[in-house]
Amino acid sequence: MRRHLRLMRIFIGATVSAQLEYRANFLGAVLASLGEAGVALLGISLLFSQPGVQGVGGWTYREALLVTGFFMLTEGFISVFVQPNMSKIAETIRTGNMDFTLLKPVDAQFNVSTRHLNVLRFPDILIGLGLLLYASAGLTVTVGGVLTAAVLYLSALVIVYCIWLGLSTTAFWFVKTQNVSELFNGVFGAARFPVSAFPVPVRFVLTFVVPVAFITTVPAQAVTGQISAPMALASPLVALVLCLLTRLLWRKAVASYTSASS
Amino acid sequence: MKWLWHKVRVLFATRFAEMAEYRAEIVIWMLSGTLSIVMMLVWMAQAQSRPDGTVNGYAPAEFATYFISTWFVAQLLVVWVAWELDIEIRQGLLSPKLLRPMDPMWHHYASHVAERLVRILPMLALLGLMTWFSGARFSGELWVYPAVLGLSVLGFTARFLWEYTIGLLAFWTESNTSFQELVWLVYAALGGMFAPLSFYPTWVQDIARWTPFPYMLGLPAQLLAGKATSEQAWQGAGVLLVWLVIFWFLRAAVWRAGLRKYGAVGA
Repeated sequence: MRRHLRLMRIFIGATVSAQLEYRANFLGAVLASLGEAGVALLGISLLFSQPGVQGVGGWTYREALLVTGFFMLTEGFISVFVQPNMSKIAETIRTGNMDFTLLKPVDAQFNVSTRHLNVLRFPDILIGLGLLLYASAGLTVTVGGVLTAAVLYLSALVIVYCIWLGLSTTAFWFVKTQNVSELFNGVFGAARFPVSAFPVPVRFVLTFVVPVAFITTVPAQAVTGQISAPMALASPLVALVLCLLTRLLWRKAVASYTSASS
Repeated sequence: MKWLWHKVRVLFATRFAEMAEYRAEIVIWMLSGTLSIVMMLVWMAQAQSRPDGTVNGYAPAEFATYFISTWFVAQLLVVWVAWELDIEIRQGLLSPKLLRPMDPMWHHYASHVAERLVRILPMLALLGLMTWFSGARFSGELWVYPAVLGLSVLGFTARFLWEYTIGLLAFWTESNTSFQELVWLVYAALGGMFAPLSFYPTWVQDIARWTPFPYMLGLPAQLLAGKATSEQAWQGAGVLLVWLVIFWFLRAAVWRAGLRKYGAVGA
């Protein structure tokens, strides 16, 4: 464990210093973050600005903003930690560089998951936290609620990581999976609204088929104290199951890996 | 004239062959453009939860018609040229293309048009599926369809030109794709991808009127939904044409300035 933490520190140091070389990119990343926040906020504001609208799917404006906050936070998590690593998996398989990763005396899954970092998208995380603070300032929030939300959000992050890793692992067989991120973002876009804002059949899909509901809606429910016990328990359970499944898939994928030349 | 026709045909045939290679990716890209669909579902649920079953005079089926139409038109307007120019300019791949006796822009334009042909069949299949599930009803008047096609061609060309201009910024900055993301936000917002334009505050509508955006997405969608008149269609076409000319000259100016800069580096 300590060895892994030390490795992560080295990885982070290396990528941060590599990225800060290009200072001009920072402006671009800030613009992109603002764009993402704009898309997320615009949809929700338009819904609530219609005459006579009190709530969307039983959520008030502040409560729905919590969902948007978690959405931005997750987008930040993905762009900073997940995507930079996962998008490289397909590339290293195609070029044969995966050989070196597999030969190293560290768990390969740990290595491919933590090697890279996109610090430039850190503003996304700040915007998400800011939105969460702003939204909860207008709500009655208990300490217990915040703690539950923190735990549930952790399992949400695990779910995001697992889905993304699972999709990227298919690169061992299909080689070309750069579009996986596109597909994920398409479905994940639904997470900017509370699940109850969708028609009932869609709600079902977003909870049980693609577990988008657990990523933003469930933590937001925990903050406001409206969460039901089954949902609160389901979230870590889903995370655990996904962890095991992706681990199995990863092992299977590595076992079938035959390098680039053969 | 015959010589030009030959050139166009060869250019188009080669681009089509290239795009047909990407058919699986094209379907994935198509499926990832879900913003219209997400907004459709949310607005439909919202209307259903109201006592009179409508929001701003839109019943669920009308929301379905509007948003499926914006989805369809947005699919016709997809442009990725800024992203490609970014790579070409920064890696110097542009250099060999400059030797050809044709502006590289036409190469990209032909690619985009050819991609539409590959895209159209799965698009229509999805359109049918979504219409069936959501209960959308499209306009029965026949003049609407050529009008939508015409507006889409104008809208696509205008968008292509502005995205091309943004792509050319790669001559000076490394973050042109983030500019593109911001412009996309304005396009989606004022175009009416989040809601019909009449749902926006009036001051936003007043600004939007002067931009090309509402006429490339919202107007064709309203035409398909049977909620816009032929006068509005002609007016929209006029505005788009004016913007198209502006973007044309803007692109030409940035291209010339960019080439000077490109040569100066010695690439």
